[in-house]
Amino acid sequence: MKKRGVGIGCMWYGIGNTGLPNPASAFVEWLDDGSVNLMVGCADIGQGSDTVLAQIVAEELGVSFDQIVVTSADTMITPEGGATSASRQTYISGNAARLAAAEAKKVALAEAVEKLSVPAEQLSFADGYVYVSGCKSDLALKDLIACCRAKGKLTLGHGWFNPDTTGLDPETGYGSPFGTYAFATQIVEVEVDTATGKIEVLKVVAAHDVGRAVNPDMVVGQIEGGTVMGLGYATLEELEINQGKIKNPNLDTYLLATSLDVPEIVSVIVEDQEPTGPFGAKGVGEPALIPTAAAIANAVYDAIGVRIYSLPITPEKVLAALDEKYEQ
Amino acid sequence: MSNTGMGASVARKDAVKKVTGQALFAADIVRPGMLHAKVLRSTVPHAILKALDISEAAAYPGVVKVLTAADIPGPSGDGTLVKGEICSDRDACFPAVRPCGVGIILKDEPVLVHDKIRRIGDAIALVAAETEQAAEAAIKLIKVSFQELPAVFDPIEAMKPDAPQVHPNNILTVRKIRKGDVEAAFANADVILENRYRTQSVEHAYIEPEAGVAEYDGSMLTLWVSTQNVHFDRKEVARTMNMDVNKVRIIQAVTGGGFGGKLDISVQCHLALLAYHTRRPVKLVYSREESMVASAKRHPYIIDYKTAATKDGKWTALKATIIADTGAYASYGPGVITRAAVHATGPYEVPNVWIDAYAVYTNNPMAGAMRGFGVPQVAFAHESQLDLLAEKLGLSPLAVRLKNVLVPGGITATGQVLKHSVGIKETLLQAAQTAQKQGPNFPKWEVE
Amino acid sequence: MAKQTIKFFINEIAATAEVETDKLLVDFLREDLAMTGTKKGCGVGECGACTVIIDGRAVNSCMVLAATIDGSSITTIEGVNKGEQLHRLQQSFIDHGAVQCGFCTPGMILSAKALLDSNPKPTEQEIKTALSGNLCRCTGYHKIVAAVTAVSEADCGGEKNE
Repeated sequence: MKKRGVGIGCMWYGIGNTGLPNPASAFVEWLDDGSVNLMVGCADIGQGSDTVLAQIVAEELGVSFDQIVVTSADTMITPEGGATSASRQTYISGNAARLAAAEAKKVALAEAVEKLSVPAEQLSFADGYVYVSGCKSDLALKDLIACCRAKGKLTLGHGWFNPDTTGLDPETGYGSPFGTYAFATQIVEVEVDTATGKIEVLKVVAAHDVGRAVNPDMVVGQIEGGTVMGLGYATLEELEINQGKIKNPNLDTYLLATSLDVPEIVSVIVEDQEPTGPFGAKGVGEPALIPTAAAIANAVYDAIGVRIYSLPITPEKVLAALDEKYEQ
Repeated sequence: MSNTGMGASVARKDAVKKVTGQALFAADIVRPGMLHAKVLRSTVPHAILKALDISEAAAYPGVVKVLTAADIPGPSGDGTLVKGEICSDRDACFPAVRPCGVGIILKDEPVLVHDKIRRIGDAIALVAAETEQAAEAAIKLIKVSFQELPAVFDPIEAMKPDAPQVHPNNILTVRKIRKGDVEAAFANADVILENRYRTQSVEHAYIEPEAGVAEYDGSMLTLWVSTQNVHFDRKEVARTMNMDVNKVRIIQAVTGGGFGGKLDISVQCHLALLAYHTRRPVKLVYSREESMVASAKRHPYIIDYKTAATKDGKWTALKATIIADTGAYASYGPGVITRAAVHATGPYEVPNVWIDAYAVYTNNPMAGAMRGFGVPQVAFAHESQLDLLAEKLGLSPLAVRLKNVLVPGGITATGQVLKHSVGIKETLLQAAQTAQKQGPNFPKWEVE
Repeated sequence: MAKQTIKFFINEIAATAEVETDKLLVDFLREDLAMTGTKKGCGVGECGACTVIIDGRAVNSCMVLAATIDGSSITTIEGVNKGEQLHRLQQSFIDHGAVQCGFCTPGMILSAKALLDSNPKPTEQEIKTALSGNLCRCTGYHKIVAAVTAVSEADCGGEKNE
């Protein structure tokens, strides 16, 4: 018989390394035609940090994303970025990139004050133009930068950010190990075949507090990818290790989820902005996976009334648990 | 001009190159006169390496160089821990009196084994040849003499004083959290639930196996690598090569996923050694099997949770013992187990917390960072415990969570006061509201 | 090593080459033809990163000897776009955020192209089935399926697929 059930999984995740200094840095050069070079140590491994960091700089400088060229993760060119891990790069390299842009912007702002005879507090940069009290002026940013440079004032900036943390006491663990935390709730619907023990994950609702989504589609991409990896963790994947030897060391025997295994995923982006993050952003890379297995385990219990205490939840474990239940 | 800054779903910077096949991953890079490398790896989990005979391999047609631990310029042959066998995160940063081997937290993994094999897959020797086939053939001609040692594969066994020693102390890390008085809370509890949870070892399975290319021009060593941290790689390579850090240039090639598994050193030091000794560009690309055997895994855990609650569903205490099998080398293990301890309560405020979390060496494959970094394991435990509590008290799974979630001003298990951006309650409410629109199978939980 | 002369079309260009008889197609493409858009992920025909189209069929090029393509017509990722002009599948992958690390992307696009070339209006299930031999560890597949669906719908006059 096929039985359906629903389960909740929640998680929290500290952004950055636990109770350790973990800085990152960036260089920005704003060029005569308004285009920008951004140099960051942060390695883009596919999650999209080059794109996200360019968007943060675009926002800070008021230029278009397309005008920004990113050079990342080349130790001869880019300053320290730390690891692309701990879901830290949007928050930490993001802050560094924003600070680097802000330093370059300071030079341009001083020039704009002089040119427009308007106090700095009333000026902002957006859409490639200087705005005065929120209204677009005739002064294009590219002309402003060209003017700075013609006068020998280089629009350069560097920035670095290290989250505000303390170490953990070795005896009590007391301390503030993270600058901020991401949060999430996933609600999963499964169908369990009580004859075969097979679990099908039908639907996942994934609500993630990311502080602020720099690029909402890419946040959804992280949520979807993480959820499917979490589904694999919950139901499919296990390295069979016997006497230290992996018995399934290739993808024909170590099974990953395919396009046929994935449930519908409804992503909900929650934005509880983090004041210490770049424009309020935190992170999402790892949180996307963390609650999925927990939610699936709870959904399986809801469906068939047996609780599996070990991952992965295989058909064999489900059948054994059902047998035990009926015997009692 | 439309908004392309914050909140804009612009297309990725690298999208065009990736959809047209122009993106250069490390295995795609070709340099003039480039050699191809292979690594000889151990097939036994625990042994003393007695002798290596490379003469036949070195004489094989097309072979340019065969290297062993004796060819490492820097002081990094041996994996022996000098200090910090039991380490806390902070002093584990750079614990070694002299650098010995590589590793993110402890330098306990030999670049090439010179005395002791600790796992299947330990690197023993390197070959660079004119073709990949010649390198592969030559690797098989290296004769390894070793004396097998008793091995340990179960972390609980490994913690016992008479267990085979993978390292001088098999207990790599003990992370303690102490908040309030758990025993008093258990004495006054309405509901106590106690369970053991287990989780498995899993593979990152990035679709791109590890790869890199190195070249040395007599002063600068340049590497193109699939990696998650070029600056870490640079330090490890410089120390291994006994070179100034700024003489090593690491350029991240387009990287085909990482998920934590490309934080460890893989091809970097081996490539550096071969490029240095041959003065020719060298490429090393892992096969899928080599990737799976040699790379770090997600830590398998044994988790004992005891939770106390009031009759209206408020958690009052958590006592947990967490044992993580970190395999043969530390990798990110101390960080993973620390994060697990810190996050063991889940996103809930629990007034009394007692946690002992261990990372333990065994002769299993090395475990390290993997997306979630030790937290998915404890999430499985705390979320199961909460559902068990809800059932016992006749509460909905949503209600029991709403009673316990952290809110602004809440205090974590480590005593951190969360001041702002504490969105757990909002994610619960929005997830529940969204779920209830998804069809009749989703329960109509009371949302306050 | 024994060698064999083969004649074939590669991305619509007629070619002749001498290949080692035991050389895999994926290695021939990557090494002999320097076409590295075709990726090698597992070597056992499971991950699909090495997918190319041979005579209209999506094939794992790590499971085929190069010598066997004699007389065949091969499409690799390098032949999908015409210069700067992206194929609509490539554009759709970009527009739908179907690319993350990009290592599976060439194979994924070729599997999708082989499907749509023979079945311009597939159901969602047919799309998922056609892509099920291509593993992606980053995206969770949804955006990839959406990208393929959108091309099919646009090709078929904007009509929604089943």
